[in-house]
Amino acid sequence: MKAIAVFRNHKEELVRLWTEAVFNTYPFETTGFLRTKKDPFGNPVADMTREAAAALYDAVAGENVDIETTRNALDRFIKLRAVQKFTPSQGLGVFSLMKPLLRKHVMPELVIQKKLADYLEAESRLDSLTLLAFDLYVKDREVLAQSRITEIRNQYAQLARWAQKLNAASPLAVDDE
Amino acid sequence: MAKLPTPQMLVSSRPAFPDKAWLDTKPEFAPGSYCYPAKKETMELLHMPNPHDWDPAAEDWNLPDNWEKILCDAFEERLEKHRSLKLFMDICVRCGACADKCHFFLGTNDPKNMPVLRAELLRSLYRRDHAMLGRLLGKRVGARSWDKNVVKELFYYAYQCTECRRCSLFCPYGIDTAEITAIVRELLHEVGLGIHWIMDPVKNCSFTGNHLGIQPHSFKEIVEMLADDCETVTGIRPKTPFNEKGHEILFITPSGDVFADPGIYTFMGYLLLFHELDLDYTFSTYASEGGNFGSFTTFNMAKKLNAKMYAEAERLGVKWILGGECGHMWRVINQYMATYNGPAPSNMQTPVSPYTGTVFANAASTKMVHIAEFTADLIHHGKLNLDPSRNDHIITTFHDSCNPARAMGLLDEPRYVLKAVCNNFVEMPENTIREQTFCCGAGSGLNTEEIMELRMRSGMPRGNALRYVQQKFGVNHMACVCAIDRATLPPLANYWAPGVTVSGLHELVANALVMKGEAKRTMDLRQEDLPNVTDDDDAAQAQGEGQ
Ligand code: SF4
Ligand code: SF4
Repeated sequence: MKAIAVFRNHKEELVRLWTEAVFNTYPFETTGFLRTKKDPFGNPVADMTREAAAALYDAVAGENVDIETTRNALDRFIKLRAVQKFTPSQGLGVFSLMKPLLRKHVMPELVIQKKLADYLEAESRLDSLTLLAFDLYVKDREVLAQSRITEIRNQYAQLARWAQKLNAASPLAVDDE
Repeated sequence: MAKLPTPQMLVSSRPAFPDKAWLDTKPEFAPGSYCYPAKKETMELLHMPNPHDWDPAAEDWNLPDNWEKILCDAFEERLEKHRSLKLFMDICVRCGACADKCHFFLGTNDPKNMPVLRAELLRSLYRRDHAMLGRLLGKRVGARSWDKNVVKELFYYAYQCTECRRCSLFCPYGIDTAEITAIVRELLHEVGLGIHWIMDPVKNCSFTGNHLGIQPHSFKEIVEMLADDCETVTGIRPKTPFNEKGHEILFITPSGDVFADPGIYTFMGYLLLFHELDLDYTFSTYASEGGNFGSFTTFNMAKKLNAKMYAEAERLGVKWILGGECGHMWRVINQYMATYNGPAPSNMQTPVSPYTGTVFANAASTKMVHIAEFTADLIHHGKLNLDPSRNDHIITTFHDSCNPARAMGLLDEPRYVLKAVCNNFVEMPENTIREQTFCCGAGSGLNTEEIMELRMRSGMPRGNALRYVQQKFGVNHMACVCAIDRATLPPLANYWAPGVTVSGLHELVANALVMKGEAKRTMDLRQEDLPNVTDDDDAAQAQGEGQ
C-alpha cells in the first residue's frame, strides 16, 4: 500500500481527533456545544475548526492540493485563534497537536511497511504548514493593530478636514513649504 | 538540559474551569478585553455618584467604604421599580434555549457569556436576599454574597453584552438579558464605575449637544462643508437649515454621521434627498445627537438626553420629527420615550408625509418617523427618480442593526429601499438576519478601539456570515441603518471579509437619486469614480459645444 493510502484510511478518525483536541482548548462547559451543533452559522467556531482540520490533514498527507486552497481553508480558523484569549503559542500550538496523533495512529503502520521516510516527510509538511499559519497569524495581528489606528482617524475624519480648512484660512497659517 | 514543555502542555493550559465551579472562577482583566474607565472629572461634572479614580487591571478598585450597602440598596430599589426585573430574576427555568444564541458566547466560548449565566451573576445575589431557599441554603442553591470580586465580575460581563436582545428572541419566557445588563450597569454606576467611551460622549451630549462636544457654530460649519462636497459631486448645493422656527419637520440623526467616515456620506445622502424634495425642515444644534449614550448608563441619564428632542420640537414649533439612521436611538424612542418624556408637546401631530399623504399611524404616540420608512413610502408612490445602475459596481447585502430590527421591527422598509437603489442584492444566511440578526459586536457603547480584539471575537458570527456571502456570491458591500454600525462594521469586515465596504442606506439612495438640474454624475458621494460612466454623453456634449 502506498503511504498516501494509509493516510487516507485514517483521515476521518484523525480529523475528528484533532478537532476534538482543538475543542478541548476551550472551557470544559462549552465543548459539548462545540461538538454537537452542526449549523455553520449557529456554531461558527466548530465549522471553522472542521474546515481547517480537513485541509490541514490533506496537506499533511501529501494530497495534491495547491497552497492557496490550503491557505484559504486555514485563514478563517487562524483569524479566530488570533483574536481569542490565547497566548500566541496557545493560539497556534494546536497545529502541533496533530503530531502526537499522527505518531500514534499512522506511524506504526508505515514503519511496518518500511515507509518511515514517507512518514517523516508528512511531519515536515506539518512543520511547513505551521510556519504558514504563523505568517497568517502575524498578518492578522497587524490588521488588528492597524484597525485601532484607522478607527480613531475615521472617528474624527470630518473634524480633521474642518480643522485643516480653518488653519488654511487663518492669517497665522504657516506655509509648509 | 532544561526541560521544554511539550506542545500539549503549552496548549492545554486552558482556563481553570474544570477545576472550579463556574461561579468561583474569576475573570482575568487582560488588555484588549476591558474598556478604559471613565475619568473622575467627567463623572463629577455629570453628578454621577461616588466618582473616583480606578483602574480595571488593578487589584483594588477604590470602591467607596460602604459599597456593599450602596449596591444592596440600589438593587432593592430597582427590584421595586421594575417589575420586569423581579420577574426575570424569578422565572428563568435554566432551559438553556438562550445559551448558544449570544455572539459573545459564540466568539469567546466563555460560559459566562451564555445569556443565562450572564443573568445568573446577578440572580445569585438576588437569591441570597430575596428567595426563601437562597436565604436558607445559600451556596447549595446558587446563592452567594456580594464581595469585591463579584463586583469585578459584574463589570467584566456587563461590558461584554451589547444589549442586543438576540437571546430574548429564543427564551420561552421572553427574559430580556439586555435589560438585566442595563440594570447591572446602573448598579455599577452607583459605586462610581463607568467606562470612558460611554461617559465622555454623555458629557459632551449633555453640555454641547453632540458626542464630540463641538460648539454649535462649528457644528454648523462642518455640516456646510458636507453641503459643499454634495455640490462637488452633483453640481447642486443643498440647503442646511439650522435652528429655524416654523418648519413642519425637525430632523435628528446621530452626530457620528457629521464627524465620522463613512457616516458623513450617509449624511450627505440626507442633505441631497431633502433638497430634491424641497422638504420643509430644520436641523437643531441643541438636539443634534439622536444617539443616546445615556441609555448605556442609567435610565435617568437616557431620559435626560432624550428630553432634548421634544424640547427642541416644542421650541421650534415643528409638527413632527424625522429621525436618521441610528440604532439605539430607535430603541429608546420606541420602548422608553413615552415613559421618559411623553406625551409629545401639543404642537406636534401624527406624522403625515407631505408628498404621499401617508399617515404614519405607527408614530401616533412618539411623532417620530424613521427615515427608512419615509423613503420607502416615497419610492412606493413613485416620488423619486432613481437610477440604480449607478450602484451597479456593488453587490450589496444588508445588516439588520439589532435595535431597529428587534426593538421596532424595521425589517422590510430598508430592504425595499435598498432593492430600489441597487440592482444587486444578496441576503446573508437566514439565521443571521432580520429578527435573528447577529450584532456588530460593539453596540451599547462598546465601539471603542482599546477592545478591538474583543470586538473581532464578538463580531465573528456577523463577520463569518458576511464572509460566506462574499465568497459564495461575490458580495462586496454591506449596507446598514445605524451609525454605530457604520463605525464598527468597517474594521469587522476588514478583518473577517476584507474587500467588503460598508455604508448607510441613504448614501446609496443619493448615489442613485436623479436630481432636477444636476450635473452628470461621474463620481459617487465618496468622490470615487463611477466605474460605469460611459464617455458617450461627454463626447456628444463636447461635440455639441464644438459645433
Ligand atoms: S443581549 Fe445580546 S449580547 Fe447580551 S446576552 Fe443577549 S445575546 Fe448576548
Ligand atoms: S431561555 Fe429564558 S428561561 Fe431558558 S435559560 Fe435562557 S433566560 Fe432562562
